[in-house]
Amino acid sequence: MRKLRGRTWFVLLFALLLTAGICILLGMYFVKGSEWASFSANSHLYTNGRIATGSITDRNGLLLYDGETGDYAEDRTIRTATLHAVGDQYGNIMSGAKLLFRQYMASYNPITGVGTGGNRVALTIDAQLNAAAYQALDGRQGTVAVYNYNTGEILCMVSSPTFDPYDSEAVLAAVNAGDSRYDGVYLNHFLSASFTPGSIFKVVTTAAAIDHLNALEDFSFTCTGSMEIGGTTITCPSVHGEQDLAGALANSCNCAYAQLALELGGETLQKYAKSAGLLNAIKVSGIDSAKGSYTVTNDAGSLAWSGVGQYTDLVNPCSELVLMGCIAGEGSAKTPTLLKSVTSDLGLPTALISSSTSSIGWKASTCRAVKALMRNNVTNHYGQSQFGDLPVCAKSGTAEVGSDAAPHAWFVGFIDDPDHPYAFVVLVENGGWGSSVAGSIAATVLNVLCGSD
Amino acid sequence: MDSILSFFSGFWTDLQRLFSSFGSEGSFLSLAVGTLDVVCRFLLPLLALLVVVRCARSLLQGKLETESWGWLTDPDGNYQVMHHWEVLLGRSRRCDIVLNDPTVSRNHAALIRDDKGIWTLYPLRNKNGVYLGGTEVTEPTRVSDDDVIALGAAQLTFRALSPAEEAEQAKTRTRPGKVFSPGVTLIMLSLFQAILCLQLGRGVEAEYQQSVYTSFGVLCALMWGVYIIYRIFRRTGFEIETLAFFLTSLCLTVTADSAPATLYKQLLTVILGIVLFFALSIVLRDLDFAKKLRWPAAAAAVALLAFNVLLGQRLFGAKNWMVIGPISFQPSELVKVVFILVGATTLDRMFARRNLIFTLVFSAYCVGCLALMSDFGTALIFFVAFLAIAFLRSGDLPSVAFMTAAAGFAGFIVIHFRPYVANRFAIYRHVWEDTSGLGYQQTRTLSALASGGLFGQGLGNGWLKHIGAANTDLVFGVIAEELGLIIAVLAVVVIILLALFTVKSAATGRSSFYVIAACATAMIFVVQTMLNVFGSTDLLPLTGVTLPFVSCGGSSMMACWCLLAYIKASDTRQNAGIAIRLPKRKPGKASDRPAELDPPPASDDLSNRSTGRWNPAGFSAKLSIHREEEEET
Repeated sequence: MRKLRGRTWFVLLFALLLTAGICILLGMYFVKGSEWASFSANSHLYTNGRIATGSITDRNGLLLYDGETGDYAEDRTIRTATLHAVGDQYGNIMSGAKLLFRQYMASYNPITGVGTGGNRVALTIDAQLNAAAYQALDGRQGTVAVYNYNTGEILCMVSSPTFDPYDSEAVLAAVNAGDSRYDGVYLNHFLSASFTPGSIFKVVTTAAAIDHLNALEDFSFTCTGSMEIGGTTITCPSVHGEQDLAGALANSCNCAYAQLALELGGETLQKYAKSAGLLNAIKVSGIDSAKGSYTVTNDAGSLAWSGVGQYTDLVNPCSELVLMGCIAGEGSAKTPTLLKSVTSDLGLPTALISSSTSSIGWKASTCRAVKALMRNNVTNHYGQSQFGDLPVCAKSGTAEVGSDAAPHAWFVGFIDDPDHPYAFVVLVENGGWGSSVAGSIAATVLNVLCGSD
Repeated sequence: MDSILSFFSGFWTDLQRLFSSFGSEGSFLSLAVGTLDVVCRFLLPLLALLVVVRCARSLLQGKLETESWGWLTDPDGNYQVMHHWEVLLGRSRRCDIVLNDPTVSRNHAALIRDDKGIWTLYPLRNKNGVYLGGTEVTEPTRVSDDDVIALGAAQLTFRALSPAEEAEQAKTRTRPGKVFSPGVTLIMLSLFQAILCLQLGRGVEAEYQQSVYTSFGVLCALMWGVYIIYRIFRRTGFEIETLAFFLTSLCLTVTADSAPATLYKQLLTVILGIVLFFALSIVLRDLDFAKKLRWPAAAAAVALLAFNVLLGQRLFGAKNWMVIGPISFQPSELVKVVFILVGATTLDRMFARRNLIFTLVFSAYCVGCLALMSDFGTALIFFVAFLAIAFLRSGDLPSVAFMTAAAGFAGFIVIHFRPYVANRFAIYRHVWEDTSGLGYQQTRTLSALASGGLFGQGLGNGWLKHIGAANTDLVFGVIAEELGLIIAVLAVVVIILLALFTVKSAATGRSSFYVIAACATAMIFVVQTMLNVFGSTDLLPLTGVTLPFVSCGGSSMMACWCLLAYIKASDTRQNAGIAIRLPKRKPGKASDRPAELDPPPASDDLSNRSTGRWNPAGFSAKLSIHREEEEET
């Protein structure tokens, strides 16, 4: 019998395995329970796949979506302007808070499980500002985004084409029918798409030139309106004459930047695009932004074009926005976020909102120099008057996207003012001239934002 | 941090909501019901915890008291006590009676007592022969008191406990239930059942209300009935039965909640299961009869499985159902009981290899039939039970490892040729990637489990039960969702407790037969629990086996109760259960001698040690109560 008893460890081993398994399960429960509970098949929280608990508001408490009733904001313009921040009725918009923050909307804790009522998720966006931006876009495709580079809060995020979420059904039918008005309608153009940057890429070329060519002091170039490089003709809209670096950036002189690109070389430009964060994805409240691209080429003409933001250059608006924030912050800025707070229906906080910092690999002195040049752009070229007293630093872009389509209009920059620490990016797809088309939208939005401050 | 914060905030919110509902709803009745609901939500896990903890402490706390069945004395007067019905004698340190004499072989001989008190001497693998009273014995030979057994040069005088001494011993051993009164535990369990019943009765459709109240009433009455029968027969060990009734209550709860129409059927199988439990318990009292029963039982099992393979019905995926008229059942569940009966064996047969070969063939047949029926989950359970039996009998770890490897290879072939089995492995640990296909059940189980929290969403408020086979395969999730994770985990803890107690009891087992049977039963329970709970929560591939006692289903319920008798038969605590006979209160005639004539060792010596010098000073009324000593080195 003693022999037999000595062998019963075999049974003990399995009992221990069972115990260990239960401990692992409990551990996973405490770590992942919230994720499990927020599964869309959970009828405690969802009705036909729609989250049926909690609510979403803007930063000022304006109701954008009520989970229990399925109602959106009352105002149609606000509904339409905040569509990509909130999400449509069918969950087709992946960047929407309804999907991103469903875990927070459900009131869940590992002790009492899912609760009734749900939580109030406050987004960082200002619905009225979104509405203003949406109206300024006036039906054109593109995106307008503003964020506070000191806190990371995205105050404005409009993506167009958009629609009233109450029309989700009709739009879905139209999309399925191939209606071109709704091309890319479910895509958040701010987060999930990349575009040819055009002249806004000159900011990157400028930084590289300052570091590598001492261009601030040494650079001088005489623009004759066009220049021949390796069989390719680089053209400027007008003859800019003799200019230093500041003049070349303000005039957005293609010939001058083609010259800089040739002197810097493709590897250096790629290195600066990468260190500017334009080639990597940024995680915004759990969603990865689209990546940009820069291709190193041996062809001198292509290299020249790549230095002025053409060729195969691509930039994601969100990455560009972070770059603007980082120049303002002389090397680093807070990473954009959409989540302001989560509170129970009695107003108690139920989640800690963490913030993270993004930084670029540029020297602070380089950032300061670029900042001064961008400020110079506004004062000497775009016109300060449209921005009132705000010390705006900016760069416009007019990105050629094929001979039969109008160029993309860009206007990116920031306000260099501790009281108004905002960076912005405006893109009007096929909108035309950058500084006039996109610049005026930026001015409108910034004035609404800072006027209401 | 997030979860801590959300807990306090969520909890506070719950409280606030509770108090605000007090103010608003007004009516005293709704207020009272609301309060009661909240109280019950916390009371249920508390009662369950109390029941399980009381049973656990009663089962596992303290050292087991060994039994003494006789002693062997050498010519110098040193004696060694025989604590089991099967005693291995030899030079090996793993023998029950260790003889440090170079002429003694490692496993020289065995002394085996039958349940009538007759001892038999079995010569085993020895060099220098076994002599009884001077004559060499090569065949099993009956031994009587004062017989001198010679193993090589070692001489031992045999003396068995007389029935009078046995009765005396029985009187002095501690009975279970002294510290943790089983009655009190049962009252707690009854309260637990009452709350479940009332909550179910309120939630269920009107036509089923009656059956809910009746079923729970009958279950509670059954429980107390079994307890009273135990008391009538002076049995006080009721922890294992209490735990089984706890799990059975959960089963009835899930049944009433998910399929109230089948409630009476489920209840009937509980009654049948308890009847089978008693029947097998009584069979197991008589070891000889139980051993004889193996052959017809094995033949019946072989026939049943053959019928099942040929005529079986494919009900839920696997073709392991038999349908006779209105009754459908799974023969494989009942074969489990036979499987253990066939696999368990006594010491004398453990040394004969051909016996293991028969078990091997029978096991291969069972596993093969189950594989033919595509019931790979049950096949795996049988295989693991076989491994346990094989290891307990042979102690041969390399062989067990080899068989596991062979089974792994066979499993690999199965995966190769059965795409649906392969799919289950493919989705394993990737369930969230296919939530509407292969990960359907697991993702929903996890989601429902998390929704319930520790205290559950309340009976009737779950949705997992609406998923196919939820009340068998996903029953862990169903309980966690509605009754909370505490109760669901306690159900698993009960199975762990049964296994731990079985291992603990093995130290004082009378016969290898009982110990092997109990260990194999514990293995089956543990492995089934692992496959069920971890399968549905994606810690293991999903196999679709039942959770013992808890999953809905008649065959499984009957088999579980029946199997419980094996565990009870190895429980040698005094008066623990009916699977073990009590010594006669009045000494019989046949093999009886007056106790005074042959003085046993003094109690002082015996109470502390298993070996010592025989003190012939006289009979001390209180015979040995041996506490387990650290014998193993």
